Amino acid sequence: MAVATKIYPATVHQRFTRLLPLAILAMLPIPFLQKSLDPTVKQVQKGSENIGQVSGIGNEFLLLPLLGFREAAAGLLWVRCDEFFHSGDYDAILPLVRLITWLDPHADNVYITGAWHLAYNFTDSSERSDRRYIPPAQALLDEGIQNNFHIFDVKFEKGWQNYDKIKDYYAAAKAFRLALETKPIKGSDDYPYGAPLRVHHILAHTYEKMGRLPDALYEWQKALERSEQMMMSKLTEEQRKQVEAAKADMKPGQLWSERAEALLQKFNKDFTTRQLREAEKHNYVTAYQRWRDRYTTEGHSKNNPTRYPAVLMPPPVSKDQTPRPWDVAFQPRIEVVRPKVFKISGFGNFGDGARVEVRIMDWDYKEREIDPKENTFQVDDTQTILQDSISVRKSKFEREMDMSKDTKMYNFSKPYYKIVLSYNPRSTSPHLQDRFGWSGEGLTDSNRSHVYIDRRPELLGTKFIEGQGGEGPVWDGKTIPWDRYGQPVRMIRVTYKIDMEQVMGQKPITEKDIVPNE
Amino acid sequence: MIALAIAQQTIKEAFRRRVMWIFLIIGVFLISLGPVFGFLTPRDSQTVLRSLGLAAILLAGLFVTIVTCIYLIPAEIERRTIYTVLSKPVQRYEFVLGKFLGGFATVFINIAAMGVVFLAMIYFQERRIPAEMFKGVMLTFFQMMLLAALTIFFSTFTTPVVNFFLSFGIFMIGNLTTVTESLTTKSNPLVRGVGTLVHYLLPNFGNFNIQNSIIRPQIEIANEQVFLRNNILYAIIYSSVLLVLAILIFDRREV
Repeated sequence: MAVATKIYPATVHQRFTRLLPLAILAMLPIPFLQKSLDPTVKQVQKGSENIGQVSGIGNEFLLLPLLGFREAAAGLLWVRCDEFFHSGDYDAILPLVRLITWLDPHADNVYITGAWHLAYNFTDSSERSDRRYIPPAQALLDEGIQNNFHIFDVKFEKGWQNYDKIKDYYAAAKAFRLALETKPIKGSDDYPYGAPLRVHHILAHTYEKMGRLPDALYEWQKALERSEQMMMSKLTEEQRKQVEAAKADMKPGQLWSERAEALLQKFNKDFTTRQLREAEKHNYVTAYQRWRDRYTTEGHSKNNPTRYPAVLMPPPVSKDQTPRPWDVAFQPRIEVVRPKVFKISGFGNFGDGARVEVRIMDWDYKEREIDPKENTFQVDDTQTILQDSISVRKSKFEREMDMSKDTKMYNFSKPYYKIVLSYNPRSTSPHLQDRFGWSGEGLTDSNRSHVYIDRRPELLGTKFIEGQGGEGPVWDGKTIPWDRYGQPVRMIRVTYKIDMEQVMGQKPITEKDIVPNE
Repeated sequence: MIALAIAQQTIKEAFRRRVMWIFLIIGVFLISLGPVFGFLTPRDSQTVLRSLGLAAILLAGLFVTIVTCIYLIPAEIERRTIYTVLSKPVQRYEFVLGKFLGGFATVFINIAAMGVVFLAMIYFQERRIPAEMFKGVMLTFFQMMLLAALTIFFSTFTTPVVNFFLSFGIFMIGNLTTVTESLTTKSNPLVRGVGTLVHYLLPNFGNFNIQNSIIRPQIEIANEQVFLRNNILYAIIYSSVLLVLAILIFDRREV
């Protein structure tokens, strides 16, 4: 059978032989162009590779990312999250947060809000938050920091969660420092700085809580310098000259001049900025006072030479007028009134408004370590932990901790439990913080086993104050790095070890169950 | 000149199609929805407005481009008007070139119209028009230009239905740039080979998606000028190659 051959005009042949090599030649730069574009595309579209991990969601949300609308899909899901939040459907938010951060890893606000939601909003029927959500919250923030290293926001949030919720001041300081190291972004509100002024403030407070007063003072100084710059930048040339002239009488080492401050306050119309400046000065003075009382011999009375210099001794003092540590005479009492319902009460001479911290948890409770890449926000259902605090009124405290209702949160699946009651002068109400010395220098208990010194490696002590339990070298202000050596806090702490029978109220909890503090 | 006359006619014809107007109206409607999300915090509402606006331009642009371009040549053949055109002193390459230019111009007009509404919305919300927004709209145009070239290329030898799925499918694969890029480094030689082929030879539409950096200005693109220049070059070269191939195929096609 003959095959019909198509005959094309000569011009078609000509075009074919000329244009095809041209087309092939033109295609040659394409792979090179693509190679040059790849690094930027990868940077801009961070998270696209996660699309493969997205499962169990509506097709409309899958289609959008596939078409390149990842950010739009993430934005719409975030709107949905907001609706869930306002309707109180907290459980529905978690998968969406996971999904949004996969779709759009630059959604820093979603990391921040998601981590806050995890750490604070899952509570028992008495509004006590579920501590088991802290590791996934921290892992989410770590992931957020990794994906948004160029901005301070997520780093700040990690610091704040450690400061406010977890009270791990070492981790908080690390995160705040990281936030302050953020590269300035042109055009941002904080330019020429990488992070706002408030990060200096909170870092200073964190150092105070760690006992690292020189570092806190240094941080307040930096904050004061920056706030002054901010205020000066808003003045007219004439006003600036007046302020500079008023500063002329400042002595070396003096941080501010009262005359110049008065002018700054007068010229600046913004109330918030003015108040902030005043608060910075006040906080600097408080920190300085705490430092001076402890680490210098200045200003101490003859009767209060060195040993407990910061303690305001309540009367009566002893005959020889030598200050003594204050005995808080802590006497806790734990009763199981119904199975899994603990009534915690007792006496503690801490002062009105102090708070006794309570932790009831598995004897071997350990926070889970979560790889941010594997973070599905799941908690370990076999773990039990409760954390709360009880207010002290007229030296007495009492509260019932009902752990019987929320079985999903408190499943009591382990044979032994730990009940820890503690009082930390540094994290107590501000009006009581210096009552026994801010680091608890003047704090004691007739039952010596109740006195506990936090010896975590991150909070290694110094020998500043004899008898205070510090370890390590004496700080000379020059050679010893403060990120290693902080003053340990002296606190009150009692630990009970109880078994399941005691949890169920079949056996009483007595002083015999008290074990040495860890 | 002949190609330009055909292009002009193509634009008129495209704007006579109701479906194109529908997509354009939907696009504009979606863009104008942005400020509705003002109940979110200022930062979030800005993010949503920008991402929704750019997504709406892209989505409407995508459908306008495909729907317009898949019919450009097949419709002429089906209606037999192509005989009238080709019986005049019109070369086939001039016809294809005219259709290309007409298709590009239609896409440009549509994206420009949506872009103007989008920028107006941004101005309404933020009281300024950041320069990044222009870049976003511009790159969307070049992305659609590449898609138009691909669709017209397919229309020289496939039916509109097959063309729709082919173009749409390649657009989706082309949007997974970072995924295909990661395949080029896999240890399995087969996966690596396929990944390399797809990544370097198929049109990478994902190159043009810079919404993330536009929505969040704090994300700085390293060598932005080079990135923009190479992207535009990529779109122009790739579209030109597709145009040449379309001419060569159409030259040999029986109509």
